[in-house]
Amino acid sequence: MTAAARAAGGSRARADPALAFTVALLWIAIGLFVLYPIAMLLARVFVDHGHFTLGGVAALVTDRNQVAAFRNSLVLGALVGLAGTLAGFGFALAATRCRLAPWLVRAIDVAVLLPLVSPPFTTAIGYVFSFGPRGLITYDLLGIGNASVYGLTSTMTAEAITYFPIAYLTLRPMLAAIDSNIEGMARSLGASRLHVFRTVTLPLCTPGLANAFLLLFAASLADFATPLILAGNTFPVLPTQAYLQITGLFDLRGGAALSFALLVPALAVFLAQRFWVGRRAFVTITGKGAGQAPFDSFSPPARAVLCGACLALTLFVVYLYALLAYASLVTAFGANETLTLRHYRVVFSEGLRVLGDTLIIAAFATPLGGLYGVLVGYLVAKVRFRGRIAMEIASMINYALPGTIVGIAYLIAFNDPPIAITGTALIIVACYVFRYGATGIRTTVALLAQVDRSLEEASQGLGASDATTFRRITLPLVMPAFLAALGVMFIRSMTAISATIFVVSIGWTLVTVKILENMTELELGVAAAFSVVVVVLVFVGVFAIGRLLRLARAPGAPAVAGMLSA
Amino acid sequence: MPFAIRVTRALSRAAALAVALALAAPALAAELNAYSIWPENWARPMFEEFEKATGIKVNFVRFSSGEALARVIAEKNNPRVDVLFGGPVETFAAGMEQGIFEPYKPPVTPKLAERFRDPNGQWTAIADDPLVFMSNRKFLAEHKLAPPASWNDLLDPAYKNMLQMADARTSGTAVTRIFSILEVNGRDEDKAFAYMKKLRPNVQLYTKSGGGGTLPVGIGQAGAGIFFIVDALDTKAKGYDVAISFPKEGIGTSAEAIALIKGAKHPDEAKKLIDWATSAQMQGLFAKHKINFVPADPDVKIEASLAEVLKGAKIFPIDDKYAGPNRKRMVDRWVAEILNP
Amino acid sequence: MSGSAKPQAIGVSVEGVTRRFAHAVKGDVFAARDVTLDVAPGEFLTLLGPSGCGKTTTLRMIAGFEAPDAGRIAFGGQDVTRLPANQRGIGFVFQNYALFPHLSVAGNVAYGLRVRRVAEGEIATAVRDVLALVGLAGYESQFPAQMSGGEQQRVALARAIVIRPRVLLFDEPLSNLDARLRVDMREEIRALQRRLAITAIYVTHDQEEAMAVSDRIAVMSGGTIVQTGSAEDLYHRPATPFVASFIGRANLVPATIVATAGDRVTVEALGRRFGIDAGTRAWRAGDSARLIVRPEAVTLARPGEPGALQGTVAARAFLGEKIDYAIDCAGVRLQAVRYNAGPGDLLAPGATVALTLADDALAIVADAGMGVSR
Repeated sequence: MTAAARAAGGSRARADPALAFTVALLWIAIGLFVLYPIAMLLARVFVDHGHFTLGGVAALVTDRNQVAAFRNSLVLGALVGLAGTLAGFGFALAATRCRLAPWLVRAIDVAVLLPLVSPPFTTAIGYVFSFGPRGLITYDLLGIGNASVYGLTSTMTAEAITYFPIAYLTLRPMLAAIDSNIEGMARSLGASRLHVFRTVTLPLCTPGLANAFLLLFAASLADFATPLILAGNTFPVLPTQAYLQITGLFDLRGGAALSFALLVPALAVFLAQRFWVGRRAFVTITGKGAGQAPFDSFSPPARAVLCGACLALTLFVVYLYALLAYASLVTAFGANETLTLRHYRVVFSEGLRVLGDTLIIAAFATPLGGLYGVLVGYLVAKVRFRGRIAMEIASMINYALPGTIVGIAYLIAFNDPPIAITGTALIIVACYVFRYGATGIRTTVALLAQVDRSLEEASQGLGASDATTFRRITLPLVMPAFLAALGVMFIRSMTAISATIFVVSIGWTLVTVKILENMTELELGVAAAFSVVVVVLVFVGVFAIGRLLRLARAPGAPAVAGMLSA
Repeated sequence: MPFAIRVTRALSRAAALAVALALAAPALAAELNAYSIWPENWARPMFEEFEKATGIKVNFVRFSSGEALARVIAEKNNPRVDVLFGGPVETFAAGMEQGIFEPYKPPVTPKLAERFRDPNGQWTAIADDPLVFMSNRKFLAEHKLAPPASWNDLLDPAYKNMLQMADARTSGTAVTRIFSILEVNGRDEDKAFAYMKKLRPNVQLYTKSGGGGTLPVGIGQAGAGIFFIVDALDTKAKGYDVAISFPKEGIGTSAEAIALIKGAKHPDEAKKLIDWATSAQMQGLFAKHKINFVPADPDVKIEASLAEVLKGAKIFPIDDKYAGPNRKRMVDRWVAEILNP
Repeated sequence: MSGSAKPQAIGVSVEGVTRRFAHAVKGDVFAARDVTLDVAPGEFLTLLGPSGCGKTTTLRMIAGFEAPDAGRIAFGGQDVTRLPANQRGIGFVFQNYALFPHLSVAGNVAYGLRVRRVAEGEIATAVRDVLALVGLAGYESQFPAQMSGGEQQRVALARAIVIRPRVLLFDEPLSNLDARLRVDMREEIRALQRRLAITAIYVTHDQEEAMAVSDRIAVMSGGTIVQTGSAEDLYHRPATPFVASFIGRANLVPATIVATAGDRVTVEALGRRFGIDAGTRAWRAGDSARLIVRPEAVTLARPGEPGALQGTVAARAFLGEKIDYAIDCAGVRLQAVRYNAGPGDLLAPGATVALTLADDALAIVADAGMGVSR
């Protein structure tokens, strides 16, 4: 064993055949389901009848619309990052620094989770109904008859509402973990509340805020459903442009080139997170400080303003979902508003097959994705082997790319032999595992960074082999990350759309595709009923996983429960 | 047994099952596979009738025209479906360029009007679908307007930011609309584009799909729009209070088609479906299932209520000899001058 | 403990062990440099030194958690240098206890036995016995998070000894405990080690703790062992100024060797001559040196004592049972300590006092600064 490996508390892949086997197996899987499809797609972009061509990417710099789309995507991502982080931080402060009643915090938790566990478009559609020229809020409430609902502002707001829970769920455990004595100490030195907040609380949160910003930026960059509905004609963004290029102009090369343009900022975000934010986290989860009264950061007026703003936003989220529930219960939303259960009857008769397909696929994708995430996360965080960084980056590719392009890449790569799996459930499961398993990798890496290496050494010192140590000590300790990864996998399996639309088939179709289909068929009620059923199913699943998390007796479990979204 | 081990074992069992499941997916019977561009609530009853008539089961999944075509193109080397069903002729014209269809002329071909069939049999029409103006009656009442009866009615400032219609990059509806405008302007491109430019401030949104604007018009988020008649009548049938009208200058119509995929794995069954769909056998069932397409087969009578709507309307076919070669140029010009000037 | 015969204790030998680290600022840094140690079977040896001296690295190399860049480690004559930690038969007690948070007390203690595939029945007995031994009978089903620091440390100890290790290793095991508990625990550890007759190597930076538990102490500084010996040896005959000032308190008075005679030397310091033990070093007349004067070896009296040095009280600290004085004498400030004989016995700052130094309590070291002789 090399000195460096020992010093880092790492293990050697060479010494342990089981480990070497696992590494090889993962490389094969990543090669097959990440690198191979992307390579096939790249070949389509850069090879034309056997010759290398830059024709596909040329439009990126020459076409005015595509340049604008690239710029718009970055602007939108930055604004969504800022607005969402601000909202998430506000909620996190309200939950941890305002001494709210516990039931109120729990209620906020549930309401805030809604946008995360629902199919895409739900926020966007609710937003159109509320703020359009005849919107319930703009017209019926405020009497504005000429409101413009399409463009940057709407897209940004709807995305911020959809994604701010990610910021909330990453910032809240961080704020909770700051020892309130530190803030109390600053206050005792004579600082005002505002001064303490500005000079102590805020700087301690900076890495978390940066991380939340990057997560939201990336989410916005890859979001396809919201701009599809809300961006309108004057605000093109890359994911929708790529989609239009492929499905409207049948220009696969141009669409793929556009998506690869997205890869640049997406990769930049990942690298920033991995190498910059990761090194600047001051707060670690120790489990100490439990039982301390949280620091009261705000003067009563400031507290009232903050809590009021959070309450307003929470009510707005609840309102959007109430609207959805309402649409699912009336005959024809906006025309014939007599109550009916007809749409649910459709969901539970004709819709049963698609619900069944979705649940079966989720049932396979969820554990496989969780296992994949934890294994890769463990290997890249704990084991020193050749190509470790390469594996970490490769495993993030499908996650960083917009879903549309991953779907197209899968369609191209897996339609023909040697691996002809289009039309099967396997392609959908693989797409989910290798795309959304990446969150499990990040969670596992983050969790393992908090687990002291002495625990593994203690096991080794007691005579356990590396394999035994992994099985008996490391695995139980990463169980929270595994369960969190399961949660993410389940949510995504039930709600993903952008990649899915190209991998569903005659044999296997999914509920989100069905919702989109119902919307184009004007079956808004059925679409809403499907959405409500999905939200309920996901809530049940996430709740069950949350219970398991509490059962898994491990440090960091509550914190990881918060990572469920990220 | 520790929890971790139990979980690991359960997971490996699940993985094994998943593989088994994936391999066991294909089934065997008299059947064929199709991508339908028609929405499921129209396609499903048609395919069920077909199965009743022939015993052949149609497995299908519905995609928008763009998605369906993108998939067929991507699957070219190893086709997953036998038939592309429904969707505007433009989509099939684009598919022909990619060489994804197998020529096949169903028996009905000689009877069909020229515009309802490809001369080489790459596709054949199954229905005709005229464009209409559809407006929200509440909106009309508020602005004391009559349903638009001329292309110029849509230029009224009352419609400012209140029209929705399809985006020419993604929708055959939009292409038909642009060629309609060209026709009523005597194919004078500059005059036609000047009109579209004048119309632009009234357009709230160019939607990705042809029917994308029907619901907004139905619930009053938009005041009016230009749609295919099937979508407009469907909106009305859902209970939305909309008016359907035609411009006195006339408006275009576009055919819906079906085609056999090159390399189809069930060519015989697929041809049976094409024979059935292009003939009165299917098109005579439109009325029964409240599908408001105009039949392409001249032997099928137009359903009475549909005929009532169409009465007096000036509808002209889009001449493919003119539209075909100019299509891409017009779309590009539309994007450059109208969409984002 | 499952009650069979005590295992034969084995010795540990460390020969020329070296361990380098790459440091971002300082380049290559020696965490341990040519460390050589011989621990006798059943002996309790402590590695003592300030933080960063290399004691923990040395212990971790003995445990097998780190590999030496050079040198050899043997357990009972068997070379274990390349043997992984899990095959060395050690019991290791970590500074942070490293209890497995997801396992109960019984699960933690039984862990090493399960790894060894001991029958469950035997495990239950062994766990019960060892928990009784460390005073935690009945704690089997508790979880680490529910226990106090002292209890956690006992669990860590029980977990280490229940596997009957060949060598017991402690890495600052008491540093997270409060002062009173620390004293109790170190005595228990010592008693346990005697009773089990296991060779033990113990790392600490607390010299009092080291003296209380150890048979022998190895003082480390800058990655090397400066001096090894019993507590008394180190205290009375320190080899370097560093050892003298790290073990207990010491005045390091500038001195010159005047004459040598066998194992005795005559040195001149504070304007006086003292005849003292030469220690381990060969001295020559004219060598400059430091005279080690322990504060308690300075006897203070009212002025006028015949033959005594004259000094002035510069400061004093009242500690109850004793008083610390700072005395200026012949241009040198000396620390002195005197037991409190009553209020009338206190010396006021500024007072002139007579000092006598007991020759027997003095030692001499080379004047090589405070660092380490290289």
